[in-house]
Amino acid sequence: MTAAPYNYNYIFKYIIIGDMGVGKSCLLHQFTEKKFMANCPHTIGVEFGTRIIEVDDKKIKLQIWDTAGQERFRAVTRSYYRGAAGALMVYDITRRSTYNHLSSWLTDTRNLTNPSTVIFLIGNKSDLESTREVTYEEAKEFADENGLMFLEASAMTGQNVEEAFLETARKIYQNIQEGRLDLNASESGVQHRPSQPSRPSLSSEATHAKDQCSC
Amino acid sequence: MERGSLYPNGADTSAAAAAAPEKTTMSIVQQRFKADETVHLIFEAYQIRGQEHFEGLLTLVSSASGGTYALISFSLLRTPLTASNELKINKVFPINKTFQLTTDTKGSISEQQFDLSTDDDRPSKYYYHPIRTDLSAVDFNEFCAKINSCKKAMWEAELPSETTLNFRWLDDYREIGEVKQELKKRQSQYIVYKDIIVYCATWNVNNRPCWDNNNSLRPWLASGEKAPDIYAIGLQELDTTAKAMLNGNQMQMYAAQWIRKMVESVHDGVEYEELQSVRLSGIMLTVIVRKELRQHIVRCRVNSVARGMFNALGNKGGVAVSFQLNEAKICFVNSHLAAHMTYVAERNDDYKAIEDGMRFEENGLLCRTINDHDHIFWLGDLNYRIQEPNGQQRPGPMNDAQTFELLLQYDQLRTEMSHDRCFKGYREGEIKFAPTYKYDVGTDTYDTSEKQRAPAYCDRVLWKGKRIEQLAYNSVMEIRQSDHKPVYAIFRVKIKTRDEAKYKLVLSEVLKAVDKRENDNQPQIITERTIIEFGLVRFNEPAMRDFNVYNNCPQQVDFMFKVKDSPNDICEKWLHVDPQSDSLMIDSARSIRVRMLVDPTSITGLLHKICNTPGKCDFDILILHVRSGRDIFITVTGEYQPSCFGLSMETMCRTNRPVGEYKQDEIKQLMVDVTPEYRVTMPREFFLLIDYLHKQGDQLKGIFQSYDRRQPLSSQFNAVRDWLDTWSEDEFPGTPQTAAEALLLLLDLPEQALLEPFVEDLLHSRSKSEAMELIALLSAPKRNVFMHLCMFLREGIERHDYEANNVAAIFGRILLRTSKSNVTLDYQNLCSQFMRRFIHVDSPDTNAGGNGHAGGANGASGASGTSGASLQA
Repeated sequence: MTAAPYNYNYIFKYIIIGDMGVGKSCLLHQFTEKKFMANCPHTIGVEFGTRIIEVDDKKIKLQIWDTAGQERFRAVTRSYYRGAAGALMVYDITRRSTYNHLSSWLTDTRNLTNPSTVIFLIGNKSDLESTREVTYEEAKEFADENGLMFLEASAMTGQNVEEAFLETARKIYQNIQEGRLDLNASESGVQHRPSQPSRPSLSSEATHAKDQCSC
Repeated sequence: MERGSLYPNGADTSAAAAAAPEKTTMSIVQQRFKADETVHLIFEAYQIRGQEHFEGLLTLVSSASGGTYALISFSLLRTPLTASNELKINKVFPINKTFQLTTDTKGSISEQQFDLSTDDDRPSKYYYHPIRTDLSAVDFNEFCAKINSCKKAMWEAELPSETTLNFRWLDDYREIGEVKQELKKRQSQYIVYKDIIVYCATWNVNNRPCWDNNNSLRPWLASGEKAPDIYAIGLQELDTTAKAMLNGNQMQMYAAQWIRKMVESVHDGVEYEELQSVRLSGIMLTVIVRKELRQHIVRCRVNSVARGMFNALGNKGGVAVSFQLNEAKICFVNSHLAAHMTYVAERNDDYKAIEDGMRFEENGLLCRTINDHDHIFWLGDLNYRIQEPNGQQRPGPMNDAQTFELLLQYDQLRTEMSHDRCFKGYREGEIKFAPTYKYDVGTDTYDTSEKQRAPAYCDRVLWKGKRIEQLAYNSVMEIRQSDHKPVYAIFRVKIKTRDEAKYKLVLSEVLKAVDKRENDNQPQIITERTIIEFGLVRFNEPAMRDFNVYNNCPQQVDFMFKVKDSPNDICEKWLHVDPQSDSLMIDSARSIRVRMLVDPTSITGLLHKICNTPGKCDFDILILHVRSGRDIFITVTGEYQPSCFGLSMETMCRTNRPVGEYKQDEIKQLMVDVTPEYRVTMPREFFLLIDYLHKQGDQLKGIFQSYDRRQPLSSQFNAVRDWLDTWSEDEFPGTPQTAAEALLLLLDLPEQALLEPFVEDLLHSRSKSEAMELIALLSAPKRNVFMHLCMFLREGIERHDYEANNVAAIFGRILLRTSKSNVTLDYQNLCSQFMRRFIHVDSPDTNAGGNGHAGGANGASGASGTSGASLQA
């Protein structure tokens, strides 16, 4: 009957990284607003979006940091990797150079996050099949070689956008369940909001004192 | 609080006393709180949002059960206050270890202001009037003093146990989660009503064990066609003999046997399980539910209230089971009230005591009462009798409806209920059965003993709540082992249930709305520009740029420049930003000034950055952070005009034209070059300075007195800089002092000390000859500069222009500069000693003895050889 003070059980921090113009902000917008943002301006800094999702009946608040992709900001954005539970690494399937730069993004991610950070590779703009410069197969191979989760998605049509964000959360949640992620570590990127424990019944005359509470 | 202990658990009645007859603000505020919560003081404070100010009250409240204090901030819907519903809570500050009250008049519009913060929330600003309007309020000093003493009392004094302190009582005053609130509002969209059958049964068993007569209980518990979903079975006088009551184990065994017997006797064909039983002496309540229902039941609690002798023995009283099935809160009460015809008032008192005293614990300290349930069923031996007018003690045979009706006219329970003296709000079905008391055991005959008690409807089932329909209400004549007949009642109850599919839909919509609101309500600011262009920036010439930030969102916004990892500051050394943080009211703007100065303390860092940044190097990227919002990158950029100051000897030797004619990225190319190919053997800039100084003769007296990078540069410095950077053929534009200053900077500002990478070895070399072997390994420009410098200095010392020890100390520290942070006296002495070997005319290497002497001779010949070479350049 009392309300728990929070709307959610966990907070997961995500970062979105990748070259300029691959559609990082549009992916975030599509995920939080379910809308495509045409004429999206370049991100000069770090934008920030949230959405509450459910995994395994647990409410999880995703706190997503969308970083600037411009090369000149590369050094500054490095400080945002710290404490990310999930990293969405984005390239543009119609621009080969954005794919070629992935290894450098991956190096940064590996160096700047902790080993349990879930890295999800997204090949964005899958709606632009006619100008494709990176095949699904080669990207899939790259992902497999490096142990990344992978999907091609379209921030424009919304295809696979939800999936990429949710799959990442499921994987993080699974890591927590399996004890691979230390919630007490300050840089795990996950905050836990335990609901208040309820105390067992106090009645001494209860003849069958089972703990009946399952709230 | 005023006079008594500060300790919330301590007796403290002063505030309550203040809440006496007259309605003070204090007393109105007190009404907003629970009985064990005390308002200690109120303080008038207002808040400003946008252009408006909002009257408010800060109240210091303590909870006896929590043992803690909190400040609760109210806004006032009316002033002066007339009722407690004109108070709206807008914030709760638990006074815990993180609580802070800060008075800060920086950038304020009023001196009477302060900030409150707790639990890492952003601070809330409050203002106050110098003169209070309400006499029950305190002034600011008293307010602060009180809060401080609370903090002390709670956290610094010796406490019985810190774990007993808690702030759970505050949950009632906090806004409940947005999602929960929204879901509650939209309840009608996902709540459906579902029928369940509830079977209530009560029987005073008159201390008989359940196996007595081997009687079946089925007529009592398995009546009705439909299998019930929930049974609530109440027994009284399980065994009230003194012997049994003193023997807990035997009692327990009795109870267990009864429960087993009852579970066996319920409706066939459906699987049941016992949910919970609760017993107070001989009064027991057992709730049995369909197995498949169990998983939908939560928050099951039991409790009892003892009455009877001394109100504590428990031979009378009540027991209850409370739980939530789906969304419905259900409570069953079984009570045995005071006996005897004349004790009506006592029965009413018992009822009242049970209703008031029965509490079911919720999360933390909140309790629910019987009346907090949606559906309440109260059964038991209520013991109300039939009080017939005098003389009409025993009517004839009692087995027809007419007689029952006649008797019920005199039923005490009905009379009392009609006067609202008990069971207010409860209902009872029509009684179409014979009085259930008192029979000769084993018969259907009314009491034939000497007492000849009047028959009565002692055993009853009542209910309270919505959507309850009674299907049956009856007694069971054929169960004869007690002096009471058992009674049962069957109900159809429509309980609130969540339609899971609809709920999921509503939940997802609510979450979406909450997300959207949160994303839309992010504090935002607009920056006039994100690129600050300084144009051409020259060494030792300050420049500045201003830019505006605006708040165009509907709330106050705090911004600050974030400290970065590298450098561990908000900006690079050559920049200065002001202000570094501020608050912006709605629709207001603030100008931010960025100043740039490349001076001797920062040039090394800037050149290092230029060399180590791939591509075009920005002067810096500032992170403008909006609290609880986004970060904006402010790029500070421009073109650095290279100067010889800060360049290494090697770089200067690679130039083919004056440094001033190079662009930033051109000089970068020369700086990162590592090939040993030089255009000159010694930097022209260095040579020109030495040459100038050399020609000044006795004007050099007294130069090289002291040196410190951080000292302001002389006014002629920039002219000298240009003279060097243009290879000017004009006369030197400064004095010997300026030339000396420039020479020292030229040697000191390169990232690497002149004698690197051999500084460490040179410091520990034992003789000049040993040092010379290392110096020969230096790059040609460095070696030549060193030897030429030593020769020049030696000449000056010879002429007694300056003092050898002084010069050795100054130049030693520069040429053998260490990056180690703590420069010891020992280290300085080593530097001086090293230099003295090279600049002393007669090399009096006293410490080194014979070695030093030989070294001095070798060194001299080596030096003249090298300097000879450099002069040819």
